[in-house]
Amino acid sequence: MEALFTLPFTVLEIPNIKIKKPSWLQAPSAMTTFSLVLLSYFLVTGGIIYDVIVEPPSVGSTTDEHGHSRPVAFMPNRVNGQYIMEGLASSFLFSLGGLGFIILDRTHNPTTPKLNRILLISVAFLCILVSFFTTWIFMRMKLPGYLQN
Amino acid sequence: MPTTAAAKPVNGHNQGIFHNTTGFSTLITVTVLTLAWLAGFASRLFAVIRFESIIHEFDPWFNYRSTAYMVEHGFYNFLNWFDERAWYPLGRIVGGTVYPGLMLTSGTIHWLLHALNIPIHIRDICVFLAPVFSGLTAIATYLLTSELWSRGAGLFAACFIAIVPGYSSRSVAGSYDNEGIAIFALQFTYYLWLKSVKSGSVFWSICTALSYFYMVSAWGGYVFIINLIPLHVFVLLIMGRFSQRLFVSYTVFYIIGLVFSMQIPFVGFQPIRTSEHMAASGVFALLMVVGALKYLHSLNPKGEWKQLLVLGTLVAAGAVFLAVVALTYMGVIAPWSGRFYSLWDTGYAKIHIPIIASVSEHQPTTWSSFFFDLHVLVCTFPVGLWYCIKNINDERVFVALYAISAVYFAGVMVRLMLTLTPVVCVLSGIAFSIILELVLREDDPTQAPVETEESKNLYDKAGKVKKRAPEPVQTQDQGLGLYARPGTVIAFMILLMLFSVHCTWATSNAYSSPSIVLASYGNDGSRRILDDFREAYGWLSQNTAEDARIMSWWDYGYQIAGMGNRTTLVDNNTWNNSHIALVGKAMASNESAAYEIMSMLDVDYVLVIFGGAIGYSGDDINKFIWMVRIAEGEHPKDIHEADYFTERGEYRIDAEGSKTMLNCLMYKLSYYRYDSGGSPPGYDRTRNAMPGNRGFKLTYLEESYTTEHWLVRIYRVKKRDEFNRPRVPISKRTISTSNSISKKTSKRRKGLLKNKPTVVKGKKMRLE
Repeated sequence: MEALFTLPFTVLEIPNIKIKKPSWLQAPSAMTTFSLVLLSYFLVTGGIIYDVIVEPPSVGSTTDEHGHSRPVAFMPNRVNGQYIMEGLASSFLFSLGGLGFIILDRTHNPTTPKLNRILLISVAFLCILVSFFTTWIFMRMKLPGYLQN
Repeated sequence: MPTTAAAKPVNGHNQGIFHNTTGFSTLITVTVLTLAWLAGFASRLFAVIRFESIIHEFDPWFNYRSTAYMVEHGFYNFLNWFDERAWYPLGRIVGGTVYPGLMLTSGTIHWLLHALNIPIHIRDICVFLAPVFSGLTAIATYLLTSELWSRGAGLFAACFIAIVPGYSSRSVAGSYDNEGIAIFALQFTYYLWLKSVKSGSVFWSICTALSYFYMVSAWGGYVFIINLIPLHVFVLLIMGRFSQRLFVSYTVFYIIGLVFSMQIPFVGFQPIRTSEHMAASGVFALLMVVGALKYLHSLNPKGEWKQLLVLGTLVAAGAVFLAVVALTYMGVIAPWSGRFYSLWDTGYAKIHIPIIASVSEHQPTTWSSFFFDLHVLVCTFPVGLWYCIKNINDERVFVALYAISAVYFAGVMVRLMLTLTPVVCVLSGIAFSIILELVLREDDPTQAPVETEESKNLYDKAGKVKKRAPEPVQTQDQGLGLYARPGTVIAFMILLMLFSVHCTWATSNAYSSPSIVLASYGNDGSRRILDDFREAYGWLSQNTAEDARIMSWWDYGYQIAGMGNRTTLVDNNTWNNSHIALVGKAMASNESAAYEIMSMLDVDYVLVIFGGAIGYSGDDINKFIWMVRIAEGEHPKDIHEADYFTERGEYRIDAEGSKTMLNCLMYKLSYYRYDSGGSPPGYDRTRNAMPGNRGFKLTYLEESYTTEHWLVRIYRVKKRDEFNRPRVPISKRTISTSNSISKKTSKRRKGLLKNKPTVVKGKKMRLE
């Protein structure tokens, strides 16, 4: 057996090379992975796939009673239709809310000074509340009858 | 459901208050899960309370019809059932083209209840099956989440999934569809899979395979499982997390699951023949190679194995991939089918398969659908994912992959929101549980190290930290904690309450419409029920011949078969594109061309849905452009989409509409005699326009029936001898009298030859 293995090397000379794993190739850290995931989440919840397939305008427009054309940010009364900008704005708010929750978690680090902690908590709550209520208002604009009767 | 929202925090407290006893935590678990089940069940009953216990929409009617057939004729007759009422003149082999899990489930329940002498009608079982299964889904989600994180997170997740609109949209009472039971099977399979990966025991792997078998029998979405589990294994291999447990669980699951899945007639040999399933076999082969290399390594641990191992794995992966590609190229493996392919190449369906793109639930998702179906969970979902990625282990790799793939698929198709919802509930449950846990017992520097240790402990028993919890409330450490804590708790309670309000509202207003019974609301809030569909189908079943063939667009095929009990040409099982295109062509052609197609297909009646009188937007004129597109795909010479638009590219039916549009069959059948209806007369409220072509006559068809609100219109196709006959003035008409003479003439009694010409004075001689 041993002889069989060494047979080719009686003729061939083994080149003296060393294959190194390239230094840039390493498992991404948790934070990198998560940032990538959050970015794609931002895009998908913003309906980027809808935008690509249906190709809606970025902002809609309507004609008022005087015949002037006015821009409309939200496609009203339709859950399954959107303009590009409204999608991005809302998905930004979704991600903002998510970040708020993550910041809230950060406040529990015992080494954080008290002032920072207060700031962090208020920032976190601001994020959550702003995102939540703005989305609520967006939904109202989209579906005028939202949460009524 | 505020009850569930309130139940969870109580749980969080109780873990601290009641010392260590597992009895209490079990009690709380059982109570919360029962409440979640009840809340989920109750919130799905809006449709039954508002309308009646009735099957909804389109596909459920077919499922109901075949369940009733199975209960009546037995399982084996059901498997061999050839349904000649569908796809005239082709027919449909129902047993071989259906996922029988749903029918079997309700059939089993029916059989069981009747064995106990509870005489319940099969329809009621069908109506209430999905709400009951939502409770089982909640339990499966609880198990899955406890496996991933902790029991507290599991309870949160169970409560979320019980009421979240993304899931209740497909499981309200009356929507008797595959998804209703399939989500339970999905969650339960995943739970068992995690269990088997964790334990590496053959027992759990076989349980996984069994549960997978149930899933395969229930829903075509099983393809998601058979791709996600191999993906999980593959990623674990890449991360260098190969273990004996993984090897055992995957190989056992794959082999047994493969054999099981091939037992379903509709699936048949697909698992070894089609590209959708090839990832599973490829990973199986790869795992074998890695296992072999590891084994060799264990024989001689000293050698230069590491490089060889990596290299061998890479070579094996490449070889497997090339083999699959080569086999596909040679035609042994069928390439990706259109439905799945359109998930990757998102523009594919729009260009090549209009019939897939035409279905509204196959449209890509907008932001509002995400918010509408998930509400606050859409924000907490990434948070849960963050915790999982931060504290990664074998199982959490799985849930991360599940989350990422499901988000992508949900973005491509609104319908796949359904597969995203469970994982969103799982991850949000984790997020809420962690945050509330931190908020409720925080601070106190002495505890900090214990806390971090505890968060490293992956499957924390609730009993571990109990004794510490009551103390921090008294510690006067930071003034901040004193106020922030109750504030945070209250804020979260409000969030959860708003969530449950939203869920109830969405389920009640958006997802609880049976869609065969419509309701309209007057200005004073009074409610009118529009029951036109059942009126029309009832008319069909009472007034047409038993074997009459009804032509309609495919959406209504199942309903005509289910309620009218008549033969249809096309239905919601859209397996034959050319047949559908033929019907589309008939609808899009002018009357005489359409008559040729209709007589070719033996059509007796044509049924169209017209919403102009009541402003119903889902009618045939609005769907018409898809009929044209589908017809054009098969008959590009006769039908051109551009002909149906105005010169400015608008789709309109008023005087500016294109000539082709105003003369096609669909237009004529919709607006025939409409001047006498609508308010103001002849005005189309759906499209807010006055129809452009009015007062026309029909040559080849005649109106048979129009329902109360003009919603359904039925026309009879005339026989060949009934039209295009020149009108003869009465004076010139000759009336054959031979029939009107009494047969009991003297000649007759004598017994003359039948065809012997008789001479009557003043008449031409006729040969009969």
